[in-house]
Amino acid sequence: MAMFEWLRFLIGALLLVLGLGIFAVEMIGVYRFHYVLNRMHAAAMGDTLGIGFSLVGLIVMNGANLTSLKLFLVVCFLWFSSPTSSHLIARLEVTTDPEREKHYREVPLETLEEELQEGQEA
Amino acid sequence: MGEGIPGLASAYTVLFTAALIFLAILLVFCLIRAIIGPRVADRLVAVNMMGTIVMVIIAILTLMLQEGYLADICLIYAMISFLAVIVLTKVYMGVYLEKKETAGRTAAAQTEAAGGADAESMISDTAGKEKNHGDV
Repeated sequence: MAMFEWLRFLIGALLLVLGLGIFAVEMIGVYRFHYVLNRMHAAAMGDTLGIGFSLVGLIVMNGANLTSLKLFLVVCFLWFSSPTSSHLIARLEVTTDPEREKHYREVPLETLEEELQEGQEA
Repeated sequence: MGEGIPGLASAYTVLFTAALIFLAILLVFCLIRAIIGPRVADRLVAVNMMGTIVMVIIAILTLMLQEGYLADICLIYAMISFLAVIVLTKVYMGVYLEKKETAGRTAAAQTEAAGGADAESMISDTAGKEKNHGDV
C-alpha cells in the first residue's frame, strides 16, 4: 500500500514538474520574441499544455473525488476560452497597429495563386 | 497529503512549497512583461498569463491545505479572467474605432469649409478609404 502511494506521488510530481517546465519555456518565449503576435504563440502554450499537465498531476495526487472533477473542469474550460481570447487579442492588435508593414506583410489570395501557377509553369 | 506513511507527508510539503515558490517567481516576470510591454496587446497577453499561473497556484493550495472549496474558486477565477480579456479587447477596439471616426469627420468638415469643386471628390476618397479599413 505504501509502495502504491509513493508511486502515485512520483507520477503526480513528474507531471506537475513537467507542467512547471512548460511554464518556464513559455516565459522564455515571451521575453525572446520581439512582436506581440509572435509572443502570443509562446503565451498560448502555458494556457493549454502547462496548466493541463500541472492539473493532471494534481488530479493523480488527489485521487478520484469531486475536487479532481472540478480541477478537470478548469482544464476543459481553458481549452475553449484560451483560443477565443487569443483570437480577440490578435484581432485587436491587427486592427490598431499603425505600422503593420514593419512587422508582417499581407498577401491577397489572388497573388498567392498567381505565384503558385507561375512556379508550376517554370 | 500522505498521512500514515513515513516520509510521504514531508515529500508532498516540499514538492508543493517548491512549486509555489517557482510559480511566484514566474508571476513577477509576468508582471514585468505587463509593465514594459510596448503595446496594449502585450499587456493583455501578460495579464492572461498571470491568470493562468494564479489558477495553478490556487489548484496547488487546494491539495496543500486539503480545502475542496478552493477548486470552485479556481473555476470562477478562470471564468472571470476570460471575461476580463473579452471586455478589455472590446473596450480598446471601441475606443480606437471612435477615435478614427471623429478624425475622419473633422477632416471631412475641414475640406467642406475650404469649399471648391475638388472638396467633394476628396470626401468620396476618404469614404472609400474608410470602407477599405472597415473590412479588417
